[in-house]
Amino acid sequence: MKFSRSFMLAIVALAILATLPLFLSGNLLNAAIKMMIAALFALAFTLAMGQAGMLSFGHAAYYGLGAFAALHLMKGVEQQLFWFPTPLVPLGGAVVGFLFGLLFGWFATQRSGVYFSMVTLALAELLFTIAPTLSGVFGDESGISTIRGAWWVFSFGPDNQVYYLTLAWVAICSLLMWCFTQTPLGRLALALRDNEHRVRFLGFNTHLARTLIFAISCLFTGVAGALLAIANEATNYTIFAAGASANVVLQTFIGGAGTFFGPALGAAVMTFFARVTSDLTRSWLLYQGVIFVLVMLFAPGGLGGLVATHAQKVRAGAWRGLIGPYALALLAGLLLVAGLVFTVESIHVVLTDAYLAATRAAGGKWVPFKLFGTSFAPDSPVTWGLPIALFAAGGLLLPIARRMTLAAWREATALPDVVGSTASPSSPARKSQGAAT
Amino acid sequence: MNASGMTAAEPVLELKGLRKSFGETQIIRGVDLAVKRGQRHALIGPNGAGKSTLFNLISGHYVPTSGEILLNGESIAGLAPHIINRRGLSRSFQITNVFPRMSVAENLRISIMGRHGHRFTLFQAISALKAVNDEVDEYIRKLRLERRRNDLAGDLAYSEQRILEMGMSLATEPSVLILDEPTAGMSREETAYIVELIREVTEGRTLLVVEHDMSVVFTLCDQVSVLVYGEVIATGDPASVRANKKVQEAYLGEEVH
Repeated sequence: MKFSRSFMLAIVALAILATLPLFLSGNLLNAAIKMMIAALFALAFTLAMGQAGMLSFGHAAYYGLGAFAALHLMKGVEQQLFWFPTPLVPLGGAVVGFLFGLLFGWFATQRSGVYFSMVTLALAELLFTIAPTLSGVFGDESGISTIRGAWWVFSFGPDNQVYYLTLAWVAICSLLMWCFTQTPLGRLALALRDNEHRVRFLGFNTHLARTLIFAISCLFTGVAGALLAIANEATNYTIFAAGASANVVLQTFIGGAGTFFGPALGAAVMTFFARVTSDLTRSWLLYQGVIFVLVMLFAPGGLGGLVATHAQKVRAGAWRGLIGPYALALLAGLLLVAGLVFTVESIHVVLTDAYLAATRAAGGKWVPFKLFGTSFAPDSPVTWGLPIALFAAGGLLLPIARRMTLAAWREATALPDVVGSTASPSSPARKSQGAAT
Repeated sequence: MNASGMTAAEPVLELKGLRKSFGETQIIRGVDLAVKRGQRHALIGPNGAGKSTLFNLISGHYVPTSGEILLNGESIAGLAPHIINRRGLSRSFQITNVFPRMSVAENLRISIMGRHGHRFTLFQAISALKAVNDEVDEYIRKLRLERRRNDLAGDLAYSEQRILEMGMSLATEPSVLILDEPTAGMSREETAYIVELIREVTEGRTLLVVEHDMSVVFTLCDQVSVLVYGEVIATGDPASVRANKKVQEAYLGEEVH
C-alpha cells in the first residue's frame, strides 16, 4: 500500500516532468534542467550521508570529475578521435566518479564522523588546488569547452532535447538509487549509520563496506556532474570549490536527509530559489542562509520530513482543519519576510557606491533612494514606519497562528478514541475514518 | 548436565598464557582457560579483575601483548573483529548495542545475511532472499519477539533490547558465543526471564558468560572460572568453586551464595 502510493506519486511526478517542456519558456526550461541535475546530485550525496551516515564535505570533487570526464568524451567525439553516442556520455562521469570514489573513499572511510568529513573536505580542496596546474586535464583558468555531438535523429542543439536527456538519466539514476536501498548492501548502509562498531562484530568488513557505499554515491554524483557538463558544454576548475560541496549539504538538509526524495526536493527548490533571487538581489545568499537556519531550527527534518510527517500523522479528511491555521501562519510569515526584505534591501541600496556618491553631491545630506520602483526618503516616517509595521503585524500574528496550528495539529493527528473522549461536535465523519484505520 | 559427557571433548576456545598491558600496567597476567564444546562457561571475578579486558581481547577489540587465543585450534589473537566473527566467535555487549533506527527484523537480518554470503550483495533485492528471511522469522520466534517484529529497535524496552542484542550475536551462528553480563541492570523478574531464554536458545551451543549475579551463574553455567587481578585462580563446577578458599578470600566477605 505504502509502496504503491509512493510509486504512483513517482509516476505522476515523472509524467508532469515529461510534459513540462511544452509549457516552459527557454529560460525556465534551462532552470528546470539545472534543478533536475541538482536533485540528482543531492540524492547521490544522500546515499552516503543519509543512509550510511557519511557526511561528505567534498562531494564537489566527484561532481567536477564527472563533468570533466564528460567534457573529454564530448571533445574526443568533436575532434573525431573516436565515436561515442552523446546520450551515453554520463556513463563516463559514472566510471570516473566511481573510481575516484573508491580511491578517495578508501582513505576517508578509515575514519568516521567529523574526521571523515574533514578528510573528504581536504581531498576535494587538494583537487581544487592542483586542478588549475594540470591544464591538460582541467584546462587553464577558463577550463575546457566543447559542443554536444548529434546522435541518431537528435542534434542535442535545442534545450528541450537536453531536458529529456537529463530527465531520462535523473529518472533512471533515482530509480537505481531507490533500488539500492532495497539490497543487502543498502540495508547494511543503514546499520553502518546506526552503529558501525556493532556491524564489525557481526562479521562485516566495515571499512570495505563504507568504501563501496561511498564509491556508489560518487558514481551517481559523477553522472550529475556529467549532465551538467552536457547542459553547459563547458566547465572550469572552480567546480571543485568548497562552496559547491557546501551547497549540496545545505540543499540536502533543507530537503531533509531522513527521507528518500526530500533531498531532491530541497535541491530543486533551492536551485530555483538561487536562480530567481540571484537575478533580483545581491543579498540572495543572505536569504538562502536565513532559510537554512529557519529550517534547521523549526523543521529539522527538512521539507521531506514535513511532508512525511503530514502523510503519516494527519488522518485522511482531517486536512480541512489545518488549512485556516496554515494560511494564517503563511500570512504572518509573509509579513515578516516583507519586513526583512525591505530592511535588507534598503540597507543594501544605502551602502552602494552610487548612493554614497549621491549623498556627497548633495553636501552630505541624506537623499531619497529608489527601491521596488518607488522613492523612499531616509528621514521620512514612512520609510521607517513601513518595516516596523510589517514586523509588528507579523510578530503579532505569529504567536496566534502558532497556537491555532498546534491546536489544529493535535486535532488532526489525534487517535480516533482520544477524539471521541473529548467529544468533538464534528465527530461523525471522524469516527468512520477511525474505523477505516 | 550436557557437558558431563563431553569433558573429554576438544576445547573450542583456549587461552594460553594470555597477557595484556596498557603502558606499564599489566591488566591480564597470564590467563589459561579452556572452554569445551557444549559447555556453558562462566567467568566471574571482583570489579577490576580484568573481565572486560579479557573479553575485548578474545573478540578482537584489543590486541594481546603476548600469549595465544585458539579458536577451534587456530590462533585468532590480534585478528580484526570481523574476521574473528567469521571464524566462529561472536560476542554480545554489556551496553545495549543494536541498530536503533532499524526494525527488530532488520537488526536480525543484518546478522543473518552475512552468513548467507550477502555481505556486499548489490544486484538482488533483500526481500527476495527467502532463506535469509525465513531464518529471520525463526529467530524472532525463538527470541519471543514476534509482537515487536516491525518496531524500531530503539523503541524496545531495555530488556527486549538486550535480548535482541544477544539474538544478533547468536544469529551469526558462532561456535562460541560470549555474553558480557547479559542480565546487567535488569529486575529480578527480567533476570529470571532472560536466563531461561538464554538456556533455551543456546541449547547445545558453547557459551562463555561474564556475570556478576551469582544466582545467574549457578543456574545457567556448568563451569566457572574465577578471575582475580588478571589471573584465573580457580576453575571447576559451580559447587567446588563456591567451596574454594581462595575464591572466598578474593571476594573479601562478599557473599558467595
